[in-house]
Amino acid sequence: MEVPSRWYNIIPDLPLPLPPPVDPPDRDSSSIELLNQILPVEVIRQQFSADRWIDIPDEIKELYKNFGRPTPLLRARRLEEKINTKSKIFFKYEGALPTGSHKLNAAIPQAYYAKKDGIESVITETGAGQWGAAVSLAARTVGIKSTVFMVRSSYDQKQQRRYLMEMYGARVIPSPSTTTAFGRSVHGSGSGSLGIAMSEAIEYALKTGAKYLVGSVLEVVLMYQSIIGLEVIGQLNEIGEEPDVLIGCVGGGSNFAGFTYPFIGSNAKGRFIAVGPAEVPKFSSGKYRYDFPDTAEILPLIKMITLGADFEPPPIYSGGLRYHGVAPTLSMLIQQEKVSSREYGEKISAEAAKMFAETQGIVPALESSHAVAAAIDEAKAADMRGTSSVIVFNMSGHGLLELDNYMKIYGDR
Amino acid sequence: MMAELVIYNTVGFPDPETFFKFVQGACSYVDALELGIPPKFAKYDGPTIRRSYVAVAGTDYMNLLSNVKCRAIALTYLDGLDLEKFLEMVRCTKAVMFPDLLIDHMNRLEEVTEAVKKMSLKNVIFISPSVPDTIIKSASRFADEFVYLGIRPATGVPTPVNVTKLVKRVRVIVDGKLIVGFGLKDNEEIAQAIEGGADGVAVGTSVMKVLEERGESEAIEAVRRLKEYVDSL
Repeated sequence: MEVPSRWYNIIPDLPLPLPPPVDPPDRDSSSIELLNQILPVEVIRQQFSADRWIDIPDEIKELYKNFGRPTPLLRARRLEEKINTKSKIFFKYEGALPTGSHKLNAAIPQAYYAKKDGIESVITETGAGQWGAAVSLAARTVGIKSTVFMVRSSYDQKQQRRYLMEMYGARVIPSPSTTTAFGRSVHGSGSGSLGIAMSEAIEYALKTGAKYLVGSVLEVVLMYQSIIGLEVIGQLNEIGEEPDVLIGCVGGGSNFAGFTYPFIGSNAKGRFIAVGPAEVPKFSSGKYRYDFPDTAEILPLIKMITLGADFEPPPIYSGGLRYHGVAPTLSMLIQQEKVSSREYGEKISAEAAKMFAETQGIVPALESSHAVAAAIDEAKAADMRGTSSVIVFNMSGHGLLELDNYMKIYGDR
Repeated sequence: MMAELVIYNTVGFPDPETFFKFVQGACSYVDALELGIPPKFAKYDGPTIRRSYVAVAGTDYMNLLSNVKCRAIALTYLDGLDLEKFLEMVRCTKAVMFPDLLIDHMNRLEEVTEAVKKMSLKNVIFISPSVPDTIIKSASRFADEFVYLGIRPATGVPTPVNVTKLVKRVRVIVDGKLIVGFGLKDNEEIAQAIEGGADGVAVGTSVMKVLEERGESEAIEAVRRLKEYVDSL
């Protein structure tokens, strides 16, 4: 299996036109113009491209290979035995990438295109640290500097994540910080949030002329992640399997979209299940409307399923699933019932993670454990119906750098 | 065949008198004038056109439109619009375009285009790059004036796009006349649109800026130069 040579863009294959980003109606300035200033040129061009296929530059392909792509598609035989199912359960293991999650797939092209613009430094924000680690490594790899605004509570608690970024050469700044005007305006008011960190990162990018890298939600990020699903299509072909169900967890939607869109776009049979946390009930309680993707309301409005940009997520451990919205294309596919959704509470998903670790040896990221829970339920449901299914889910990352969270959930044994 | 030139301005901008003088002068150089009526929410418009909507608030649009002697296309958004009243107001024009028709009101496509026809007006169907192939194909059949491809998400905001590629993709789907606009930033992009297969181009923000800052004479001259350039392609 070779690394795919093209990314897949679902825009021309959507059931309806995708509502474009719009400027807030009450402003004289343009938030869309802001994208011009902060994103690498080629990233914006690809964000607004209608091409179904976009060639992956050879340099990026080489980096994908270097870091372990294609990632393995594995069969969870011991899990199947444990739950005594007739179904086959496969998982795509994105945790095999060096930073432990799928995030590197989108960080590499953005850092590469930033370097192409002649930029020497990139900036981003990170919550739990997965995106920050991916950007740090990608920047180091292409030979530019990186600065990561890390939510202060994570900065203090997740020292291994922070150190991983620093090991790759990133400058990691706890947010709120005194580095930016926005940070100073809220400094001392608490442990920070992803919205504050994002605002600081964008302000700092504008001030320094660095480029800002985006971790999810934007269509171009989902397109970069399509490398996952394209590989899975090839890997399933090699073993002669055709999926009945594809499952992924959803924070902003990038790993789910990257995993499923190549299947959806090729009108593959089967169902697609997006799984979110019950504690951030965007599927069951969110509204499909224009909303800000960022809590600081800096970026353009996008039409998506949202709990509101001012939604304050409860302190669940799946940091990557606390986002208030769902990427616009995925929101539309859910609205059009091309993708179904469900929600699991943290207790249920953590139990699934434990079962997976006991049977397959891999500790899933808490985010990915939601997909594990859904895969187990799908297998059980097929058994109840007296059928067997081919179930494939995306293990978007491993949880080895968040064992402290598992300890908090299960208690120190 | 020579490429067509469509020029956009907001009705009454920058003031009724200048607007009228500009329209009179520009008419001889353009194939059509695209005239915007301020909507409740200027969804896909950049700062320049949004400002123009504020500047013309309270204008007697119907009166100004009825004095436009060249081919005019009225433009507004459907959100919160009283369609019947709007069509009555613009009935002296030749055609109508609603940029949000396919994007947010797809289920009203037949109803809206039928209402337009009943007023003896023609339909310009607006599509953006995010409109899927299947819908471009089916919706373009409702365009009895032309299909308008907006290449950028907001007017006057020069996000980097590959104009030729975007136009080529739509050209193979649309059989009828195809006009490209919504953010063409310079002559190079106009040439790229024509190279991609467009039958004509629409320009707005750049001419409006000249009109606002330097008056109607220079704006008309800018239109004349644009026409000369488009004819040379």
